Amino acid sequence: MQSQHVFDQKSALYMAYFSLLGLVSLSAGIVDIIVSVSGAEYSAGILEIPNSGFRGVWGGLVMVFSGCFYLSGIRNSNEIHQFAKVVLGSILLWIMAGTDIFAMITGSIPSEDADHWFNTSRSFVDAYAPPYTPAVIMLPFSLFVIFYIRKYRLHQSVSIHPATD
Amino acid sequence: MHLTPDERWGLIEEISRRTLRFGIHKHTLKDAIGDFTVKPATGIPFAIAILFVFWSVFTSFAALITDGFMIKIFDNHWLPWLQQHFPGGPGNWVYALMVDVGQRQGDAIVASESCFDSFGVLTSGLFLPIGVVLPALLIFYLMLSLLEDIGYMPRLAVLIDTFLHKIGLHGYAIIPTILSLGCNVPGVEATRILETKKQRFMMMTLLAMFIPCGAQIGIMQKVIPQYIGFIMLYLFVGYFLYGFIMNKILPGKTPEILMDVPAYQKPLGRSISKKMWMRTAGFLREGVPFVMLGILIINVLYIFGIIEFLATAMAPVFEGWFGVPRETAGPLIAALLRKDLAIAQLGAIEMTKYQMISAVVLVTIYFPCIATFVMMLKESGRTFLGSLLALIIVVFTYGGLLHLIWKIMGVA
Repeated sequence: MQSQHVFDQKSALYMAYFSLLGLVSLSAGIVDIIVSVSGAEYSAGILEIPNSGFRGVWGGLVMVFSGCFYLSGIRNSNEIHQFAKVVLGSILLWIMAGTDIFAMITGSIPSEDADHWFNTSRSFVDAYAPPYTPAVIMLPFSLFVIFYIRKYRLHQSVSIHPATD
Repeated sequence: MHLTPDERWGLIEEISRRTLRFGIHKHTLKDAIGDFTVKPATGIPFAIAILFVFWSVFTSFAALITDGFMIKIFDNHWLPWLQQHFPGGPGNWVYALMVDVGQRQGDAIVASESCFDSFGVLTSGLFLPIGVVLPALLIFYLMLSLLEDIGYMPRLAVLIDTFLHKIGLHGYAIIPTILSLGCNVPGVEATRILETKKQRFMMMTLLAMFIPCGAQIGIMQKVIPQYIGFIMLYLFVGYFLYGFIMNKILPGKTPEILMDVPAYQKPLGRSISKKMWMRTAGFLREGVPFVMLGILIINVLYIFGIIEFLATAMAPVFEGWFGVPRETAGPLIAALLRKDLAIAQLGAIEMTKYQMISAVVLVTIYFPCIATFVMMLKESGRTFLGSLLALIIVVFTYGGLLHLIWKIMGVA
């Protein structure tokens, strides 16, 4: 009973974290769409929203969906279907970050010079330097959901098979 | 061995006791995610994200292999080597067919600088399937196999089934459609998963007309990023509109399908590599020779001046019916080989933004590239002529409709 109470308390904290992540994701998606449609670019510190046209709008839409999943899943998150929405929100964020990182990797390998096959080591490393897209910046923060899944599973197994003493 | 009914029931009980576990099934996180990816409200956003992965990974990988390495191999090494060593040289017809037709400048024939321009069976004929299509196929087959093995493809098929039934197709038609967003060649091959001739005919025709390949979308994004949304929307509407019309007028069956939706599971490396090998080997064995044959035919038409004649003859139609400048005839002919480069060529022609949208739509719908064309010919057999006829009708009606829209808006 007490463990349930502790889990619920912690869950509230975790869900506050995920709701913040959802809000950031939603905002980033909206900005991404606006920037892409307007044809402008946005850059601040290590953050960059490039004007990638069609890709930007599509990717922005995925970020918006990610934010919506997070926000719709935070209420009553101990219920499995609600929690699944939070996980889906994270999966969409990983999709965005994964495709951005993959584009970074593929762009860093070949040389732009017609006479050389591969990039110089300096240009290769430079390709991974900031600024980054919002999804890449949010990626480490979204990985927290893996920890929470473990916590959640542990809690579920304890709830199903309570200790008998 | 003869068993009495009691012994038989005993055996059944023993087998089930050893192999089955009984208990109360509690919905797991995996089950819940599985449910959400099928329900429209949550499944469609997820499907949009998965399609984004498909497209984004494809364009990044194709840029890496084709632009980063293949163009260098073919244009900087293979073409110059053949130009130097192949017997005959410029002016010789065997050389022109096999290596380089050359660019006519006055009376002189100047050697081509890229495998795109050379139109030779050993240059363009190899560059197109190996340098452009194969890298696209490899990454697409990998992603498709992964999604199949994870268990997502049946969910996507279920999700989209209702929409596609309205145009006489079913959920699995999403696979050739997605594949075509990367490259139309595997898309045409993938129409084999559809049951009836009518469905295959419709799918091939719709793919050839309304689904731009990844290379094409990529170049659109570079050359005309501000119009790409309109163009994709117009193509998307065309896909459903003409699908609906074809479904109504074509004879044949469009059966219902029963889909099994398995639980999500971890993909197996061996299964994925086997599938990839089977599909890639199939393309190398069947697709490459057809593409080379297609290049040979184009080359012959080019040498005999038939393509130039067509471009000149069609110029008034382009201006009058489609409302685009007569210079677009050149890129439209180039689109027979590579649509992405045809769009790049359009970018260099001076025209209004409305003409540009019309021209890019025309490049997409007017004719499949030669690689897709020969694959369609191979896959559809006798119905190919029907496909071609449908294509011509669509180009004239849909291309003309766009011009009409601009006229009504007062911008044409």
